[in-house]
Formats: sequence, C-alpha cells, structure tokens
Amino acid sequence: MRTDEKLHAYLDGELDAAASLELEREMAQNPALRAGHERLRELSAAVREKADYHAAPARFKVRSQKPRAWLLAPAFALVLAAGIALGVFLAQPRDDDSLGAAVVATHVRSTLAGRLIDVASSDQHTVKPWFNGKLAFVPPVKDFADEGFPLVGGRLDVLAGQNVAALVYARRKHFINVFVMPTKEPDTMIHPPGLRQGYQWRHWRRQGMEYCAISDVSDSDIYELAQLLYQ
Amino acid sequence: MTDRRRFEQVVLPHVDAAYNLARWLTRNDHDADDVLQDAMLRAYRFFDTLRGAPRPWLLAIVRNACFSWLRTNRPADIESLDERMPEDETPGPEILAARGVDRRRLNEAIAALPVQFREALVLRELEDFSYKDIARIAGIPIGTVMSRLARARRLLAEALKPAAAAPRLRVHK
Repeated sequence: MRTDEKLHAYLDGELDAAASLELEREMAQNPALRAGHERLRELSAAVREKADYHAAPARFKVRSQKPRAWLLAPAFALVLAAGIALGVFLAQPRDDDSLGAAVVATHVRSTLAGRLIDVASSDQHTVKPWFNGKLAFVPPVKDFADEGFPLVGGRLDVLAGQNVAALVYARRKHFINVFVMPTKEPDTMIHPPGLRQGYQWRHWRRQGMEYCAISDVSDSDIYELAQLLYQ
Repeated sequence: MTDRRRFEQVVLPHVDAAYNLARWLTRNDHDADDVLQDAMLRAYRFFDTLRGAPRPWLLAIVRNACFSWLRTNRPADIESLDERMPEDETPGPEILAARGVDRRRLNEAIAALPVQFREALVLRELEDFSYKDIARIAGIPIGTVMSRLARARRLLAEALKPAAAAPRLRVHK
C-alpha cells in the first residue's frame, strides 16, 4: 500500500493495528505527513457535515395515493393481493403490543393500492350516514378542517378481527387513520404514544367507543387530532 | 409473517440511504425517483436472496440499477474512466484545508466527480460503510475501494482549491 493510501485507510479506520502504529510513528517524525493527515481529516469532516443528504420522498416510505407510488406497480400489486388474501389479521388478545401490531398492519394495508377511502368526502354529513347499515354502530364523525385536519373520507376496515369504522384525516401531505369501534370498557385518557415501524398512534376510550389514531406524521400532530376528537 | 410485511420491516428503513445513493449517482430528483422505483421492485422480487445485513444488500441493487440506467441514458458518464493513480503522490500542500469551504461549492464539486469516485465517497462519508461493504456494493476488490476513495478525495480537494488565477488576498497581521 502506498503511503498516500495508507493515510486514507488510517482515516477510515481500515488500517490494521500494526500498520496504524507504524504510520503514527512516521507521522510523529514527519510534519508534512502529519499535515497531510490533518487536511484529509478536515476534508472528510467537511463532506460529512456539508454534503447534501437526499432523503427518499415520502411515497417510498408511506404508501401514498399517488399513482407513481412504487407499491402500485402492477407486478407488485399482484404479489400484495396474494399476501392480503391470506388474511394476516387474526383476532388477538388486545394487550397494547398486539393492538399496536394490528393497528399498524391495518394502517399500512389501508394505504396500499388506493384502499384508503371508500367514501370520499370532506362533509361529515355525508360520511356519517354512509356508515349506517354497514356497521352495528354509528361512529362520531367530525371535520376539523379549521384546525388543520380536514376530513377526507371514511371506509370500513377490519382491525384485529373486528369490523371498525376508519375515518381519514389529512395533515399536510399525510393521512391519519382514525379507527373507531364500540367498547364496553370504561373511558380512558389519551394514552401515551405507541411507536412501531415508523408509525405512531394514540389510543383512548370515550363514551362507549374505542379510538386509535395512527399515522406517519409526528406524534404532536396525532395528539392534537386526538384531543380534538376527545372533546 | 408475510414476505411483504417482512420486506417493509427489514428493507424499507433503508430507503433513505437507497435514495441518497440514487440521487448522487443520477444527479437529479426525477431520475433518482425512477431508478429507485425500479430498484425497490427488484429488491422485493429478490428478497429471498438477502443474506446478512439488509443495507448493503439493498444498496448493491440500487447501485446496479443506477449504473444500468446511466449506461442507457448517460453513457458518457461511465465510459472509459481512468482508474490509474498518478505515481508518488504523498498528500502535498495542494490539498487545502477544507474547513471553511462553502456548502454549495462542496456539493457541486462532489457532483462533478467521475461517477465511480463519487460513489465511493458517498458510500464512505455519507453512509459510513466499511471498505468491505463498499466493495460488496460496488462489486470491486477492497484494494480498488481504497484507491478510488483516495482518488475521490484528491480530486475533490483539487476542485475545492481557490481558482489558480484568483488574486490572493493579502492578510496583514
């Protein structure tokens, strides 16, 4: 290895112990070599600090509704349909962890292949009656456009083996799924956030209904919507 | 767990690294999008070939997708690249201190590097991959990783030199 390359390997932590020692000894004797090492270190630090890091557009992370989303490619959709048909979502005891898993699974599934919304409307008076006769309960439906969470629609979904109403709110370019189902359990406060696979959710019970709001937006946004719904 | 869910859990966390590489190799958002879309599909299709760490595995797929895209769409970017290093170049005073370099200038200089040096630099400095992982991703021997990185940094340092013709400011102390 040439001295020049040794300096790079040393900088990158890729020189073995013996060679590192030898190079350090050389640098101690040779100010030019030492200065060379220092300049390389600065160059490397400058690249790490200042070079642009291009994070992937959101649609590569959360399956959005845009037709270009890679998950919507036909070949992929077929494979997915097979996966979905197998029915991964079995009823489970509802401790928090399995609730989290079920909620994330249902949320992710809903964002695939345009399944997010069955009834598209920003009008709560359109969305609410739509659920009539489709479910054994009527979920409360409110629009919060003025607060920055416009209602974009609703759909029927299955969460951990149970039929639920899913209300879909928009938050900037993202969606928040709010699952609603009846419960006999007493009211709770809004629980602390759950986190799994990059999704976050808030869960609570209120007036005979159980709610879970999940999204890839920040927890503070989800919590804000949860508080609006809780009122 | 289904393959799809496993894919989402194992591979999707590395999609930023994948896009970053595609973006630096294609040098624009639109092309990076197209290449990444294609690469993610390939990754899903070949998910069962994943052994070991998912990040280098995914980036190898992305890298290959980028190079085949470049071969078709920008052949000039990848043809006849001179890999030889000029002999006997201990780092001399021509590699200037990069501490104060302007962000925009640095990004432009990296973007202007020949693609295989740019690739080595991005994988090393922005993704912090080991030489071994870079070798695996780029499909080259470790010795070549080392010489490409050395060359990348040298070219970068030269590009960041103040223009030779620019008059030196005299600093009075």
